[in-house]
Amino acid sequence: MTGVAQLLVNGVALGAAYALVALGFVLVLNATSAVNFAQGDLVMAGGFLAVALAGLIPLPGILLLPLVAALMAALGLLVSLLAYLPLRHRPPVSVFISTIAVGIILQNGATLLFGPEPKAAPPLFGGGTLEIAGLLVPKQSLAVVAVAGLLILGQHWLFARTQLGRRLRATAQDPEMARACGIPVTVMVAATFALGAALAGAAGLLLSNQFFVTPTSGSGLILKAYIAVTIGGWGSVPGAVAGALLIAAFEVLVSATLSYSAATAALYLALLAILAVRPQGLFGEAARSRA
Amino acid sequence: MPARKSTLFAAAFAAALSSAAGPATGPAAAADLDIPVLVPVTGFLALEGTSQRNGAVLAIRHAPEGLSVRSEVIDTGTSPEGAVTALVRAAGRGAPTAVAASMLGTQMLAMLPLADEYGIPLVTVSGTASITERGNPWVFRFFPGDGVTKTAHARYVAEELGKRRPAVIYQTTAYGQSGQAHLRDAFAKLGVEPVFEEGVDPGIRDMLPVLTKAMAADPDVLVLHLHSGPTALFVRQAAAMNPGVPIVAGSAMHQPSTAALLEPTELKGVCAETSASPVSGGSPEMERFTAEYRAAFGTEPDAFALGQYDGIRMVLDAAAKGADTPEAVRDALAKGTYGGLAMTYRSDGRGNMAHSAVIVCYDGTSRVPAVVKRYDVAP
Repeated sequence: MTGVAQLLVNGVALGAAYALVALGFVLVLNATSAVNFAQGDLVMAGGFLAVALAGLIPLPGILLLPLVAALMAALGLLVSLLAYLPLRHRPPVSVFISTIAVGIILQNGATLLFGPEPKAAPPLFGGGTLEIAGLLVPKQSLAVVAVAGLLILGQHWLFARTQLGRRLRATAQDPEMARACGIPVTVMVAATFALGAALAGAAGLLLSNQFFVTPTSGSGLILKAYIAVTIGGWGSVPGAVAGALLIAAFEVLVSATLSYSAATAALYLALLAILAVRPQGLFGEAARSRA
Repeated sequence: MPARKSTLFAAAFAAALSSAAGPATGPAAAADLDIPVLVPVTGFLALEGTSQRNGAVLAIRHAPEGLSVRSEVIDTGTSPEGAVTALVRAAGRGAPTAVAASMLGTQMLAMLPLADEYGIPLVTVSGTASITERGNPWVFRFFPGDGVTKTAHARYVAEELGKRRPAVIYQTTAYGQSGQAHLRDAFAKLGVEPVFEEGVDPGIRDMLPVLTKAMAADPDVLVLHLHSGPTALFVRQAAAMNPGVPIVAGSAMHQPSTAALLEPTELKGVCAETSASPVSGGSPEMERFTAEYRAAFGTEPDAFALGQYDGIRMVLDAAAKGADTPEAVRDALAKGTYGGLAMTYRSDGRGNMAHSAVIVCYDGTSRVPAVVKRYDVAP
């Protein structure tokens, strides 16, 4: 039992970071109906940005976090200006391809700037392990869960309680109606990209200490985010979080009882089963059409 | 998606990277020799490929007096077609004297028929066993194959540490599976039966599940054969969980960039197999190589860099002694003996030039390991 609890502790930390990736993915999806395939590479970019800043300003990760998020938000704005807004009236495949291109550029840029070696950002507070109820819990895992939880709650507060959040939601639900109501839709879309990139940057900082960052490490993350969003329900923020936590727990527990290969196969089988029973995902709403 | 991205990436930016790497020596017009460097500097093998490139480039910069060498670095990415395209491109610009060829086994396998067709010696540090088992006279491997390194790995575990219950954790890539097969054979010859074996995908982020399962099998040693990032992940999580058994890792652990991810205390008692450890020193020549490498590339050299350096140096040595055609270079590599920095190289008749491996261990106070055991195998 202790072993399972120990595994779940790690699984929750991993799932919390996955959730930040998935949230950024859902944000852009909701606002633009476009799938941002650069989201995983934005996480990678955030990780390297944290590594670079730590080299310039030797501070603990928690103090670097706002700076990383702000700089990544600026990068998100740039991505919206270059890869989404010029193509928004084109067929959806144009944005699909342009975000893949952004990802490739980010990977290449990271290789040129930082080299291919894995790098680690500083821990949020400090290294080491705590013993809690017989479990060895890395301090970084606790910090990751706490920070990711705060960021997720902060995003919920932003959308539920602020004027900006209401405008973002209105834009996501019906851009034409939002524009008719005087909401600057283009600005809202750009803000969504910025927020998504800021979350990716935070995830990059959190992940790159425990799991390291390489120029290609974002590729696997986007797949996890995609699965999390599909399991949770496309467009559902709670669904994205729940999907990410489920994936991480599933991976950890099946890997520990069977094997990593079995966990990968089982994850996709579970995804198929969920979609067969609830095509809209666990938290998504079923689409209805009127005759 | 990752594979597609890598391919697109390699295609789109190979030229940029090539020009960023720059020519290794003087202008093409003055060149007597042409030694293109066709290695993966992007993709999942970029770390090792960059070491390989740096070793080749440094060797060319150190060309003997009187030799002028033209060289171009071309990124092969990680796909077989990327390697073939790079070789076709290099051959299309003239007749290369020899090529520093990718360390990725699947890329080497794709290049072999072309090397035969064009008549170009391929000098590599690939560990994949099968590249020298196909009767191709143009391939020369300056890194010990798995048959050498995994034998040393298993012998150190069984003979020096006296362990009889290893848990073997390997990568699910071709590299990992080749190493696992050789480890299994080597342990069997020593009368040792692993109590646990499992493959791990390179993308796996949490190593606790495999560590938990391995420890449930009650091993007396953890034996790793993983790439760089996964090795560091595993060692870090094992240090946090304090499993109470030693770790003897594969060659990725000896790479300074892998050790840089870990605190010295996390490395205490960890050992690794490799062909050489330049940062550990050992001779004035090795220390001079390490200092020059640091000055040239701003990073620490590893065994891949040193193996490729030695390989290209052997080509240049042959050229300096009069081997002025690809055929002559091939014959010199196939029949000659060369005292490199890592070891003395001599072909076993199939292009396997390296027949020594070492075990390095960390003492917990620094990230520089000490060489604790050397294994020499007669070719």
